[in-house]
Amino acid sequence: MALRQWMVTHDWMVKPTAQSEWIERRGILVWIAEVFTSLGAGLFLVSLFFNNWWGMLAGWLIIMFLKIPLHLIYFGKPLRFWRTVIPFTSAWKTSWFTRGINFNIYFGTFAFIQLVIGYVAINIYPNTAWDSWYLAFGIISGVFAFLVGIYSGFIMSYCKSVPFWNTAMLPIIILLTGVADGFALMLAVGMFDKSVDIAAVEAGSRILLTAIIFMISIYVWNGTYQSKTAKYSAMLLIKGSLSWWFWLGVVALGMVIPLALASLSLFTETATQLLIIAIVLHTIGAVALKYVLLKAGVHTPLLPTLSYSHRL
Amino acid sequence: MVVDLSKCVRCYGCVAACRVEHFLPLGITWPRLIAWEEKADEVTTFPVRCNHCKDAPCVKVCVTGATQQREDGIVWIDQDKCVGCRYCIIACPYQNRMYVSKDRDTGYFPGYDLTEFEKAGRRKYPHIIGITEKCNFCMERIDEGLSHGHKPGIDRDATPACVNTCPARALHFGDLGDPNSEVRQLIRDRKGFQLHLEHDTDPSIYYIDKGWRGQ
Repeated sequence: MALRQWMVTHDWMVKPTAQSEWIERRGILVWIAEVFTSLGAGLFLVSLFFNNWWGMLAGWLIIMFLKIPLHLIYFGKPLRFWRTVIPFTSAWKTSWFTRGINFNIYFGTFAFIQLVIGYVAINIYPNTAWDSWYLAFGIISGVFAFLVGIYSGFIMSYCKSVPFWNTAMLPIIILLTGVADGFALMLAVGMFDKSVDIAAVEAGSRILLTAIIFMISIYVWNGTYQSKTAKYSAMLLIKGSLSWWFWLGVVALGMVIPLALASLSLFTETATQLLIIAIVLHTIGAVALKYVLLKAGVHTPLLPTLSYSHRL
Repeated sequence: MVVDLSKCVRCYGCVAACRVEHFLPLGITWPRLIAWEEKADEVTTFPVRCNHCKDAPCVKVCVTGATQQREDGIVWIDQDKCVGCRYCIIACPYQNRMYVSKDRDTGYFPGYDLTEFEKAGRRKYPHIIGITEKCNFCMERIDEGLSHGHKPGIDRDATPACVNTCPARALHFGDLGDPNSEVRQLIRDRKGFQLHLEHDTDPSIYYIDKGWRGQ
């Protein structure tokens, strides 16, 4: 079985072809925006858990001024952005993308109100009814931060056209890695804000990193028998063109070394230098994970026949 | 639509007809062809285009509702609503959508102004940079024909340009919901098949062939 090269005009019809829209050329913006999604939503959730106002502010700023603008710049027609907002569209009934955009808007609004109330409650009128409002808006903001952190996983997992993404595990992995990134950034906040309990943050980091290592292993392993195309994607990560990104960036720098550093605190007080290393490595891991996930999004060939061995 | 793979002669007439009908920019192609060889000197040609799936993922994922499905099943894009997020391109299992970027819309003579022909085409079919496009089964043509009492698939004025142009009659168009239509009979008699049934999209394009079953 062979192709007559002079007739072949479109690889995607006969070969597993990686999606390029969200990772190549302007698609790089989506990749970076997704990294900021993890960092921002994760930091906000962790800060909410530790009731750290500065952490929440940082998370909110990352989402509002780094993630959302990058997504908007990526759009071919960014000025039509309003068409994605409820009530100007009813696409939220079926589209996770529309839902996600609206989650961002609600998160931005409620978290802003919460931060303002929080500032007043902490600095101007402590131990008053402002505290109750701070708590109430904190719950609402937390729900929307959770949704902001998970929706991109649903966007990807909805695509049957990309079998490697088409699994219920992906949203959970995206959310958990985001929260783990949040724990790492919380260490950074703790370097300036002495009220942060570094030992507790490291304990949370240890638990999450262990869970993520387990989940990513299952996810990749699952890909190897899910379908031919998903296996092709998984093999790209394990021994193909993305293996350096995966093994070095995601596994070693992003998970194993930060886990080892977080485990060190069980035996000795963590030095500031080690904290900085853990934060940097964790962020590199977040960048690498989003890259390999987007890059390994491979479409099934239109004509389901030819070999999957090329370009691995 | 039914595509008779055994009749296609790889003339690219459908591709050219579509380009003329919709004044497609140089880098944009709605229907496409691939030829492949299963045995020596036995080449199968696949004309492919948007499958106008009954359960179309592109309609569901569209962030603004720009991609819509009409009652007759045609999936089309409202160019005024598309924001160019390209989710539909990724969600389409048939990879039959294209993003109109500047480098795909250079004009027929790159580096020069648009010709009067191109300008006239842009007025009729404005291919807006920054949005997604795909085959629309010549729905403007069908609507115009229907308004004059013509029948799609039978009268040329209500039939897509690619079907009209095909010199080998490899493309057939009609109402899949009508059990007596030509397309329905072809599917029934010659065991028509769709591509990628595993995605549960129920494509409206069927292929018929002597032996190839697409599996």
